[in-house]
Amino acid sequence: MGGTGNELEKVLMEQKLAVESIRSFLKSKTSYDVLPVSYRLIVLDTSLLVKKSLNVLLQNNIVSAPLWDAKTSRFAGLLTSSDFINVIQYYFSNPDKFELVDKLQLDGLKDIERAIGVEPIDTASIHPSRPLYEACIRMMGATSRRIPLIDQDEETHREIVVSVLTQYRILKFVALNCRETNFLRRPLRELNIITQGNVASCQMTTPVIDVIQLLSQGNVASIPIVDEENVLVNVYEAVDVLGLIKGGIYNDLSLTVGEALMRRSDDFEGVFTCTVNDKLSTIMNNIRKSRVHRYFVVDGDGKLEGVLTLSDILKYILLSAN
Amino acid sequence: MGNSPSAERSKKIGVKSPREMAEENKDISMLDVTEANKLAEPAKRNSNSSLTHSFSHMNIDGANNLEAQPPLARRKSTLIFNDEDDEIPPYTDHQEHGSEGLSHTTSNEEQGGNNETVSSVSVSASATPSDTSLDNVTAEQSVGDSKTSPMPAVSQTASYIQSGNNQQQNRNSPKPAETMVPVDITWQQGGHKVYVTGSFTGWRKMIGLVPVVGQPGLLHVKLQLPVGTHRFRFIVDDELRFSDFLPTATDQMGNFVNYLEVVAPNDTVSQQQQLQNQQLQSPQQLQQEQQHQHQLQQLQNIQDNPQTPQVSEIAPGAASQPTSSSKPVSARSRIALEIEREPDEIGDGFTRFREKKPSRHELEYTQDIPAVFTDPTVMEQYYLTLDQQQNNHQNMSWLTPPQLPPHLENVPLNSYSSSQGDNNENNSGALPIPNHVVLNHLATSSIKHNTLCVASIVRYKRKYVTQILYAPLQ
Repeated sequence: MGGTGNELEKVLMEQKLAVESIRSFLKSKTSYDVLPVSYRLIVLDTSLLVKKSLNVLLQNNIVSAPLWDAKTSRFAGLLTSSDFINVIQYYFSNPDKFELVDKLQLDGLKDIERAIGVEPIDTASIHPSRPLYEACIRMMGATSRRIPLIDQDEETHREIVVSVLTQYRILKFVALNCRETNFLRRPLRELNIITQGNVASCQMTTPVIDVIQLLSQGNVASIPIVDEENVLVNVYEAVDVLGLIKGGIYNDLSLTVGEALMRRSDDFEGVFTCTVNDKLSTIMNNIRKSRVHRYFVVDGDGKLEGVLTLSDILKYILLSAN
Repeated sequence: MGNSPSAERSKKIGVKSPREMAEENKDISMLDVTEANKLAEPAKRNSNSSLTHSFSHMNIDGANNLEAQPPLARRKSTLIFNDEDDEIPPYTDHQEHGSEGLSHTTSNEEQGGNNETVSSVSVSASATPSDTSLDNVTAEQSVGDSKTSPMPAVSQTASYIQSGNNQQQNRNSPKPAETMVPVDITWQQGGHKVYVTGSFTGWRKMIGLVPVVGQPGLLHVKLQLPVGTHRFRFIVDDELRFSDFLPTATDQMGNFVNYLEVVAPNDTVSQQQQLQNQQLQSPQQLQQEQQHQHQLQQLQNIQDNPQTPQVSEIAPGAASQPTSSSKPVSARSRIALEIEREPDEIGDGFTRFREKKPSRHELEYTQDIPAVFTDPTVMEQYYLTLDQQQNNHQNMSWLTPPQLPPHLENVPLNSYSSSQGDNNENNSGALPIPNHVVLNHLATSSIKHNTLCVASIVRYKRKYVTQILYAPLQ
């Protein structure tokens, strides 16, 4: 018994030290450090039509883009899937406004938000040379789960959109560069970081518009799809909305979520699951290897128990009291 | 290189206070040399030793103090081990004797350092062929000559030096630009067994770093790298790490790596130098300050009395004037030789990376403009001959200019979409590193659906952002 006790203590201590070490790593690195030496950045002019912007996103295989106001020469926020969800909801409750939705420009999204009473596009940003830790903290307040890096041009003092960091990229960066992640060996159930109990879910037959509403109401990025037994079968993500309204067609809102999923592209990464007995080291290892955005926590029979999002992991690393 | 500390000092505004790793090396070796000298000749006046190490600095100081250095020259001199690419006047040889006279008590390593100093000194000298600096130089020259003859060197190290001299003499004739650039990679974050691996070895082989003498905790290795950007990481006691003192970035896979950009030595200051520069620790600078003071005094002495007998005594192991018998070996090659002696098998299945010497043609510079560029008839003849050689297709193609400058035809963005399909890892939008000539150009795609798409590659600090802006056609 004494031996196992020591072992437990060791795991506890190692996890504590590892988290501290990762935290100081995040404090010592800047957002600039995360950027590749050469990379592309797609920026959309705010006078672009919303439906065209959707095509641009899909064409470039991205789910979000910074906006640029050419009139003021300023950064104008991020376009994300939640903006499209807003438009869908607006159109759904105002089917007569097709003309408006069809001709909607990106700078008109504010009006839509006001009309349906949701929070405006967040314009939070951070300077690239600020510590990564600060960027993470700032990102947690943002609903978009990403943060634009904005600098000023030295000569003109105009804003420059340098890049956009996502939670995933930061966690992958940590997973790749902090060996300390190997020492995060406490089981998840001890960490109290899983959202359990009140996880909104739907079934394959649920109308997709209801799922979209769930996404919007819960301010979440995905809704798990379960069967009658509460066994996890799939997931509907906020980014799946982009495929749904491809080309500005809003006629498919009556589809069931199962039918809507047929639109999903083939390179879908799949649904990642874990159990409460898994360790953060395994989770981080997976983040390093594949594009995971959340883990659904299931029990031995595959029944949905909860969800572990990247925000939860980040929050634990940044703020847990240890 | 020896130039730059003094250049910095004379500017003193602390242009970029931390200067250059390689320099550190060299300065250290000079210090060691001084000490070694003291040890070897305890009875001897201290003034001698300070005088000796001032040697290697001397004419630089002269040059710097007497006139403003053109920035290019200074930059050049900060190039790490750039000795091969600059014309070295013969009068610098004696300097090597000056320092080498002491080096019989020091290791090869240090001699390498000394040698570097010397060669870079000569760079500055040649870059500023002002009367004043030349005066200094010639004064030293005679000093050097006076002391070289009496003591023929027999030690192994001395023979290295000798061949080094040869090399320098050979270098007096202009050479074509090299494609390989010497680079000093350093590690200063602890560990015992430190290796570097990177894109230059295909990430498969590891190159061991050796401790810098007199600098505990500092390891380095000198590599010859082709021009371009190199990514690398360090293996420190079997752990993959990156240096906090070198530029870092994530590669396409998201790995955090160090990188450096190697530019042709003739270019202006390279990034890699800058990063090397940043590593110079302040203690070194202090030392340099002190040395500088010394040198100022000693410089006076030497100018007043260039053939003091003391000076000749300082160089007991000086090699005789270089002869053409031995094979030319540069300072770098000497270090390479050293590395050569270590076993190739590093362990863990890793083997040492072997550099390949680029084969060089003997080319000559000329002032004459070939007739093909001046005489239209010759020019036409030339192109007609070209046509005949190439035969058939594209007859007279030289009459029509190309539609785009060739370098603009390779836009990184065009290769992006193809590479993305099979690579899901590329979620950070990483692109290949663009050639600098395509920077700040505006590229557009054809207008589709009333949407205009323009792209431009710009520098952001040390990275490249390819911004793509989509805007509607008004």
